[in-house]
Amino acid sequence: MTAIELRGVTKEFADVTAVRDLDLTVEEGEVYGFLGPNGAGKSTTIDMLLDLVRPTEGTVTVLGRDATRDGVDIRRRTGVLPDGFSVYDRLTGRKHVEFAIRSKAADDDPDALLDRVGILGDADRKAGGYSKGMRQRLALAMALVGDPDLLVLDEPSSGLDPAGAKEMREIVRAESDRGATVFFSSHVLEQVDAVCDRVGILRDGQLVAEDSVEGLRDAVGSEETLEIAVDAGGASGALDAAAEAVLALDGVSRVDRAGDTLVVDCDDGAKTRVIAAVEDAGVTVDDFHTREASLEDLFLAYTEGNAAATRGGSEAGAAAHDASPDTTADAASAAADTVTSDTADGDEVGE
Amino acid sequence: MSLVAVAEKDFHDAVRSRGMAILVALFSLLVAVFAFVIRPTGQSEQFATELLLRFFVGPFLVTTLVPLVGVVIGYNAVSGERESGSLKLLLSLPHSRADVVFGKVVGRGAALSLAVGAGFLLPAIVLVGLSWTGQIAAFNAGSYLGYTVFAAVLGVVFVAIAVGCSAAASTQRRALIGGVAIYVLFVLLWGALTGQVLGAASPLIDPLPVSTTQIRTFLQVANPTAGVEALTSAFLGGQLFTGESVNRQISAASMLVFWTLAPPLVGLWKFDTDDL
Repeated sequence: MTAIELRGVTKEFADVTAVRDLDLTVEEGEVYGFLGPNGAGKSTTIDMLLDLVRPTEGTVTVLGRDATRDGVDIRRRTGVLPDGFSVYDRLTGRKHVEFAIRSKAADDDPDALLDRVGILGDADRKAGGYSKGMRQRLALAMALVGDPDLLVLDEPSSGLDPAGAKEMREIVRAESDRGATVFFSSHVLEQVDAVCDRVGILRDGQLVAEDSVEGLRDAVGSEETLEIAVDAGGASGALDAAAEAVLALDGVSRVDRAGDTLVVDCDDGAKTRVIAAVEDAGVTVDDFHTREASLEDLFLAYTEGNAAATRGGSEAGAAAHDASPDTTADAASAAADTVTSDTADGDEVGE
Repeated sequence: MSLVAVAEKDFHDAVRSRGMAILVALFSLLVAVFAFVIRPTGQSEQFATELLLRFFVGPFLVTTLVPLVGVVIGYNAVSGERESGSLKLLLSLPHSRADVVFGKVVGRGAALSLAVGAGFLLPAIVLVGLSWTGQIAAFNAGSYLGYTVFAAVLGVVFVAIAVGCSAAASTQRRALIGGVAIYVLFVLLWGALTGQVLGAASPLIDPLPVSTTQIRTFLQVANPTAGVEALTSAFLGGQLFTGESVNRQISAASMLVFWTLAPPLVGLWKFDTDDL
């Protein structure tokens, strides 16, 4: 049974195509992290699940029902934490939750829900005086009403401090243990890393990668990035030859040139052979250092660069291998700009 | 019932606004001032309840101020939530867009009725008290109460028109322009405008089996303010839905129903197809 199924979904607004021919499947009981930079189409996709926005083409099915036709039925079994919402300033936190309980014809205890999200102490205050984080918690409490089969959380951690983000993850985990499907979007990878069974990365309205977190980690974790500062002596031909020679080696998946630096993705054991190949091509190696690629690298490569669209972790490496150095140059430099060797240990992200 | 939940939420939200208290105070104050102005001077004189309602409260309060209040309460009902983002919270719950639009009409209509009721009844309590203690003779509480109901009905009709406009408007600004237009059309320009239209259309009307006068009369009571005026004047004359003007009253009443339902439906039709 699938909880969410998008088939060939395109959404065109007057001035922009937000989502292009998107296929997406989320199985029941899964925790699915929907990643992408701002403006990638995440919120538009979520709005289509909730029938706030109607697809230009394609079908959106949620909990086995058509999103446009049976929106109310879907939302009866779905808890939603929207993005960019606002509260009713004059109503108290408790009134908000009571309204959600009434709307869903549920029999939850408002205080228990408010306690669960940590704002019971402010239940009788008007929500207009709440901080951003408290509003976020209030909306989460409303989303949890009636033990929904599906939770749709749009940027759930926005406005929360690290402790709040951790509590949010714990609630996601608890809901998942209860059997709920959780679909949430984020532009911050570490929130997704700790809780997701599967991750999809959206860019320009298209899914550019989809895999388990382990799969994505495998795609980059077995490799290291080698940055070699070279002195080509003005002979750019020699550097080209060196790059080609390195790419031909076993265990090398990618070679980029960034000025006088060669950036090479390769297996751990291939490093010495890479250095040797560069020197054999007549290029002097001034300096080199390695760094482990993190999920952040992959995320940035997919979302900011021109990485080829792939499905499945093992294919990700293969696709990158096939790509010519030119097409991946942007991705690598984007990743290199933001990730230093000190912080780039892919293991200890999140909790 | 989803519509009721939305209406109730909206009612709670509306009655907590500062404007609500101001409104009740304003209505009370105006009614009290009018009552004071026409207070009986001699002991034997009767308190002229009908005079108060028909010539003071009616034209100054009900047919000018109540529609304005209705428009102000209704114009941001949907567009305001749309612009602030609370509509996302509302529509993340299992409500249809029809529940939202009609829930708003009911919730805000109830809030306005409460304001009108409280605003009118506070001074009435004083008047009833005075008439009991013999200070003034014979305050007609029945007429006064009935009149209050008609005032509330008129308010609800304008709330419905304004909510419909609000649902159709994609921005708060457009909703505001629409609200102003509604008020200007129905309260200020209706007679002049329908007269113009009627004059221009007379070649088309002549071959029809209805006279221009009949159409003029219909157009007149088609305006909710004139419709309520016609009904209240019949009510105060003890001839509600009887007597000579019964046909006129029936058209007026049906037009009030029309204005309560049609604008929200048209607004919903637009709202339902919008991407939010």
